[in-house]
Amino acid sequence: MSGFVINFEGEQVAARAGESVAAALTAHGIRGFRVTRSTAERGVFCGMGVCQDCLVEVDGVPGKRACMTVVDRPLSIRRQRHGAALAPVSDALPPATIEELAVERPELLVIGAGPGGLSAAIAARKAGAEAVVLDERRSPGGQYFKPVAVAGDDIAPPDAQHREGLALVAQARAAGVMIRSGVSVWGAFQRLEFAATSDTGETRRYLPRAVVVATGAYERAWPVPGWELPGVMTTGAAQTLWRTARRLPGQRVLIAGNGPLNLQLAAELRSGGSEVVAVVEAAGPATRAPAAVATMALASPGLVAQGLAYQWRCLTGGVPMLHDMVVSAIEQGPSGLAVTLVGGGATRVLEADVLCLGYGFEPSNELLRALGCRHDHDGTRLVTVRDADGQTSVAGVYALGDCTGLGGARVAAADGTLAGLAAAAGLGHAIGPELARLGRQAASAAQRHRRFQQALWNVYRAPALAIAQVPNNTMICRCEEVRFGAARAAIADGLADAGSVKRATRIGMGPCQGRYCRPLLEALISEATGKAPDETSGFAPRPPFRPVTIRDLAGKP
Amino acid sequence: MALPTAIGTVVIGGGVVGACVAGFLADEGQDVLVVDEGRGAGSSANAGSLHVQMQSRFMRLYPENVPNMELQLPLYPKAVAFWRELAGSLNADFDLKMTGGLMVAESQAQLDFLALKAERERRLGLDVAILDRAQLDAIAPYFGPSIVGAELCANEGKLNPLLCNAAIRTWILARGVVLAEGVSVAGIARSGTGFAVTTTRGTVTAGRVVLAAGSGTRLLAAGLDPPISIPAVAEPLHMNITEATAPLIGHLVQHADRMITLKQFGTGQIVIGGGWPARQDAPGGHAEVELASLIANASLAQHIVPSIGNLRIIRTWAGLNTSVDGMGVLGAVPAIPGLFVAIPGDAGYTLGPLSARLVADVMLGRKPGEDISPFRPERFE
Repeated sequence: MSGFVINFEGEQVAARAGESVAAALTAHGIRGFRVTRSTAERGVFCGMGVCQDCLVEVDGVPGKRACMTVVDRPLSIRRQRHGAALAPVSDALPPATIEELAVERPELLVIGAGPGGLSAAIAARKAGAEAVVLDERRSPGGQYFKPVAVAGDDIAPPDAQHREGLALVAQARAAGVMIRSGVSVWGAFQRLEFAATSDTGETRRYLPRAVVVATGAYERAWPVPGWELPGVMTTGAAQTLWRTARRLPGQRVLIAGNGPLNLQLAAELRSGGSEVVAVVEAAGPATRAPAAVATMALASPGLVAQGLAYQWRCLTGGVPMLHDMVVSAIEQGPSGLAVTLVGGGATRVLEADVLCLGYGFEPSNELLRALGCRHDHDGTRLVTVRDADGQTSVAGVYALGDCTGLGGARVAAADGTLAGLAAAAGLGHAIGPELARLGRQAASAAQRHRRFQQALWNVYRAPALAIAQVPNNTMICRCEEVRFGAARAAIADGLADAGSVKRATRIGMGPCQGRYCRPLLEALISEATGKAPDETSGFAPRPPFRPVTIRDLAGKP
Repeated sequence: MALPTAIGTVVIGGGVVGACVAGFLADEGQDVLVVDEGRGAGSSANAGSLHVQMQSRFMRLYPENVPNMELQLPLYPKAVAFWRELAGSLNADFDLKMTGGLMVAESQAQLDFLALKAERERRLGLDVAILDRAQLDAIAPYFGPSIVGAELCANEGKLNPLLCNAAIRTWILARGVVLAEGVSVAGIARSGTGFAVTTTRGTVTAGRVVLAAGSGTRLLAAGLDPPISIPAVAEPLHMNITEATAPLIGHLVQHADRMITLKQFGTGQIVIGGGWPARQDAPGGHAEVELASLIANASLAQHIVPSIGNLRIIRTWAGLNTSVDGMGVLGAVPAIPGLFVAIPGDAGYTLGPLSARLVADVMLGRKPGEDISPFRPERFE
């Protein structure tokens, strides 16, 4: 196995080449990364570059996300302390102008290299369109495939899901799709103008003729006292540690949430050697919804079999399943996290090193909103208005997959094919009979997978978060360390929109840009005013959608 | 919320000026309704500079306005002092720091320009000095190698507008001001000895009307009988804010020949602005940030203070400044008894509370503490 040594504040940490700094440090038992204004420690939370809680200083450069920083050389890492002093710099770069940025004018720009984005690019390319795919991660595949990034004799080989992703990437490359990894799109402006910065610090402007947005989703907040503690992470974050780096989040892992991903994580971590304390599921057992299970089996027998396999592996691995319970509080005890579970009139406290929270997803729709695409609010989240081919309300902008609402990887892949074909046709490329057939197949697959997804949600139907019950001392804005009590006080003071509460309380003013607190604040305001949330009720999207250093903003190759 | 059908005074515009006019009237027991199309009006986008010295940007853009700028200049240090007074009387923390402002130069020609400017400003009562690089380094050791000197204006400072706006809001609500946000005014008709103000939530009759709607004042005034000419225009501007860092930039920093303002809040965040354009597709519509301004503004900031290159920009936003003829528009409109205008001037937020005080004094039948005759609304007729 090839590897490097990381110096973490004087401690020597053995790291594998290709893994994230977060994975290497986590495997070494390090849980505290960023230090907040109130000097609290934060750890890996989202594991996918969204939450900004795993910030570290890498070789003297502050503000690096440990989860997105790849170990490709020996590194010197320090915790990122809030408000730390900057190192003096003696050379002043000249002021830059937009004209100095490199410009790319691909025919079709695809943002996001998950199953949806890759499928769109492949379909468009087959129809003759030039397709460039940008993706923030070091390797394509997105949050569903999560490609293995490390190699070695002791590394568990890729599983079927990994292999499916590799095949899709290979198919895209063979079709002539240009995939650019490590490129973060942080700006979307009118007239289809995009700004993107690579992980080497080069910023480019993209001026495509059409765009497919396939930016996926991130985990929704589960706001309970202590959800900001190090050691509490999303199910996706833990899965990324295992699937990309073959690292375990901890020895004793408690997994709680709602949905099948938690079960999959339990099976994966069990096979990797973690003790899974329990899987706590908000919904009842599937046997309570036999009709939905039957629908799922008809729509996608393979996925049902896979789900049963995960369940079987948990069962034989001795993982207790607790149904109809949710996490209600988390405390740091002397020997681990003490996690309080409630449900069915009962209260239990379980101890674990790591708690994974997987209570559903929130669409990453900031690019679409910045472009002016219309959205509906379904009461829980925003859903992008689009036609069956993925065309949004803005000409030349196509969108698909979890960033437009939720539907899972299979729906995204099928919709990707449809959107890719529609985008190519919109660009003037002929869709021949063979591609038309591909489109019809995709349309029918999308329909089938939507049926499956709907049934799956029926199986996993659980009570929604009762926003009124969240205690006042619970953090609502992790970045700015603002609690529910402050939000409620501002609303009681007569502030009736998210922007005003933001300006009065600082909720949503941190580097994650309100991704976790916004839905919570919208729910609080909606509850107080009786007004249903809509596309204008959250914070207005403000670039950069990922924090970007001033140096990189005008960064040249 | 239903609006009152009749009230003593309607203030149109709920930014810092309109809110303060309402507050000062309510302090004297008057009943006031503030109608604002948005929430907190343009002041919600302010970046917190307390400007005093003449801004080189306005001098370059509108050279014909310089005599007017000089005419209003003596009001600026008083306006800053008035902000401090307001913080005291409201017992509020505005994060107000009288750190002084530096306008930096990168060439001898720019320094000569500043010297000339400083000489005129000194005659008008400002506390200014020209510093060479060594003197500059002694008080501000963070500038890049290209800076050769600066004009220091000791009257300048900064505050956190989020804290100010919240405290002002709390004050006027406590005084019983009725605040109608998200309500637009469709027209103002004269009715008897007063006015009938038609809004998106019904018509309100009022004895007096104050136009404090920034650039929106232009259309409101033009729709009156007789029409009143107030040539206020909106300047959609771009702003950026970084994550927090240790105290580094004490002063309000500007440039003699380039568009920039640079300052650090008490939160440790650095706010970068200075007049780079934002896009406003329709008059009265939202302003949207543009990539060109973001690149130019942020990279210029790094050019001036190189160490901030490693700081991350976490948010940008666009706001609307109001520009008239280099001066404010303050006081009664003689052609229409009961109508008042309150537009503070180029640095609207800095001048806001004092401008509001002067207009409120006129409305209360008091002699304002300053000569506001140069700012009379009828000067455009």
